[in-house]
Amino acid sequence: MAEQAQRRAFEAQAQEKPTDNNHAFEELRHLIVAPEQAGIAAIQDRLENLEKRTEDVSVVVAEAIQMRREKGDDLALADALAPTIQETLRESVRRDPHVLADALFPVMGPAIRKSITETLRGMLESFNEALEHSLSWRGIQWRIEAFRTGRPFAEIVLMHSLLYRVEQVFLIHRETGLVLNHVVAHSAPAQDADMVAGLLSAIQQFARDSFQSGKTENLGNMTFDELQIRVVSGPNAVIAAAIRGHAPETYNLAMEETLEEVQRLYSSALVTFKGDPGPFRAAESQIARLLETQYREKPADKKRPRAAIIAGAIAAVVLLGWFGYSTYLLIEWSRFLSELRKQPGIVVVSYSKDGRTFHVQGFRDPLSEDPRKLISHAGLDANHADLQLAPYYSLDDAIVARRATALLHPPAGVTLAVKGGELIPEGSAPQNWIAQLEEKAPWIAGVSKVDESHLQNSNLQQLNALKNTLESNVLLFPLGRAELDAGQEAYLSQAEKNIRDLVAQAAPLHQIVTVELVGHTDLTGVEAANLPLSRERADHIRAALLSNGVKSASVLPRGVGTSQPLHDENTEEGRRLNRSVTFKITLSPFPAAGAVTSADAGASGATPAN
Amino acid sequence: MLQKKVCMLGSFSVGKSSLVRRFVESMFDEQYHTTIGVKVDKKVVNASGEDLTLILWDVYGEDAFQKMRMSYLRGMHGYILVADGTRRQTLDDALALNDRVVAEIGIVPAVLAMNKFDLADQWEIEPARETQLTAAGWTVAHTSAKTGDAVEKAFLHLAQAMLAK
Repeated sequence: MAEQAQRRAFEAQAQEKPTDNNHAFEELRHLIVAPEQAGIAAIQDRLENLEKRTEDVSVVVAEAIQMRREKGDDLALADALAPTIQETLRESVRRDPHVLADALFPVMGPAIRKSITETLRGMLESFNEALEHSLSWRGIQWRIEAFRTGRPFAEIVLMHSLLYRVEQVFLIHRETGLVLNHVVAHSAPAQDADMVAGLLSAIQQFARDSFQSGKTENLGNMTFDELQIRVVSGPNAVIAAAIRGHAPETYNLAMEETLEEVQRLYSSALVTFKGDPGPFRAAESQIARLLETQYREKPADKKRPRAAIIAGAIAAVVLLGWFGYSTYLLIEWSRFLSELRKQPGIVVVSYSKDGRTFHVQGFRDPLSEDPRKLISHAGLDANHADLQLAPYYSLDDAIVARRATALLHPPAGVTLAVKGGELIPEGSAPQNWIAQLEEKAPWIAGVSKVDESHLQNSNLQQLNALKNTLESNVLLFPLGRAELDAGQEAYLSQAEKNIRDLVAQAAPLHQIVTVELVGHTDLTGVEAANLPLSRERADHIRAALLSNGVKSASVLPRGVGTSQPLHDENTEEGRRLNRSVTFKITLSPFPAAGAVTSADAGASGATPAN
Repeated sequence: MLQKKVCMLGSFSVGKSSLVRRFVESMFDEQYHTTIGVKVDKKVVNASGEDLTLILWDVYGEDAFQKMRMSYLRGMHGYILVADGTRRQTLDDALALNDRVVAEIGIVPAVLAMNKFDLADQWEIEPARETQLTAAGWTVAHTSAKTGDAVEKAFLHLAQAMLAK
């Protein structure tokens, strides 16, 4: 085709200038530059012809890319190709997804498997952690924390398990084991990075050789107690991280991403590495990021326990205070309860506590102690007490005594005691009260009998006192005569009044008063004369009494002569006292009519004996 | 600072570890310690006016039962081939090992250390043999880990050779 075009060009030129001169010149030119002209025409044709140009490029395109990559500038190439390749892939998927899926199948299978394995391993690790710690002391602490914060236990375990610190990160040249870069966390102990990296590489190679694993497989983890060394390997570089604690599995992902970035950024420097770490100084910004991950968790970790300790302490103090106060209340209540049980007239059947209120069920005699008073005595709040005490009659001795006192109103000086149901009044009371006592006491609930042995009748006592006064009265007579001595009338009228009082007071006590008038003489004279004289003296007094209205029946005169002297007669005074009449009173119970008669008979019977 | 990976190669008990100890810590121990696996040490040297970190891989010695693993030597920039001058066999073994290393790794700078030169009276290596080796391109050093003779010189020579490459 090119030759045809060439020929056409020549023919055209020949037809343009048909003159001889021209022809000769053209011929000369043809002779001199024809081959060059043909060449230029061919090149022109080549440039204009798209088909030919494409053919030319197609021959060298693979070599050109190869050459560019060898120059180590593959990043620009990748940048240039990336959009086209992405578009191509997208278009390919759009047209027929199966083509790409089939092509990727051998790659995707293992990739997915690896991803699933990693995920499951991470989950299992957390699960194992949870199981391991569920029964330990830490586990119990975590359970308390979960209870306190209201978060699920698993979350607490995860939070604590994920605490870790990346102490050092090494970027190592894979082939030589030399350190390219190395970062250390603040305050972490740093070993000689060169030696550590060398040893790590040696261990890697040892493990690969010893267990005859494939060239692409790598030692992932090494664990020494708390310290863990994780290693991720790329084609030319290795990143190793020294981690204290338990880093999550996702940390490996961060390491892998960093490694990929380093591999991409320093690909040519890694290949041509001859022991100069200078070009990798800038890689510090990449690997230092791997250190930072751990800082985020730390402050939170420190703060929480302090807050927890303060909250715990406050809770403990409040709890202790509350517990102490409740215990104090409970002790006070039980003391009050036992006090209540001891009270006569109160029976506690049951008690219970409901919140702050204390309930007591039972019975109470209205005469017993007021329980509200007991509550305030115990220092407790009566508003928190619910006393359900039904009224009843207590047969308790103390309460029976109170009841008897309330019903009988004993006069001053009389006390009422009850012992085993027996009412024991003590003291002296007037006759009418005693009568009331005898009448009412058997009706009092709880009184089975009355013991009056300690009770004196005050009326009877007065009667006896009068009787004694009268009996001590001595009416004196002159020698040998039966008329009262001068000045003795006052004593007589005193005696007369006494007798009248005695009779008056004896009547309500159902007593009959018998007054014996005993006449005496001194030893002067003969007995035969003295005896009648003494009788005359008694008669004289009787007559005086009777004349003043004292009943004759109860006044009995008697003469005893010298037989019952009041005094020895060695002195005049003694003899004088013996010339007298004295009184002897007899009280005898009423109303038996016969008794009066017998008293009279006794009195009259006494007369002949004198 | 430049770093170079240097391996100590040679038969069992020729004094590889002792040379490293003498070079790094300036110490010598009469007691024999066998190396298990690899011991890594480092030393900064100044060669031709330039500071250089040598990472010394003291690889366990080869014997009849245990061949050396070539994988430890990957990426090394140079090595010191150690033989015991009082035992001729160790030189033969060292050279045989050297052939394997060259086949596996390629040619890298190396120094041949004839060690235990403090026992010169028991020397088994003929001067003719040494001349032959020098002619073949070997840098031969008569070292003594015990006295420290020529130890520094051998390492320094290797360092210069590695820098020149």
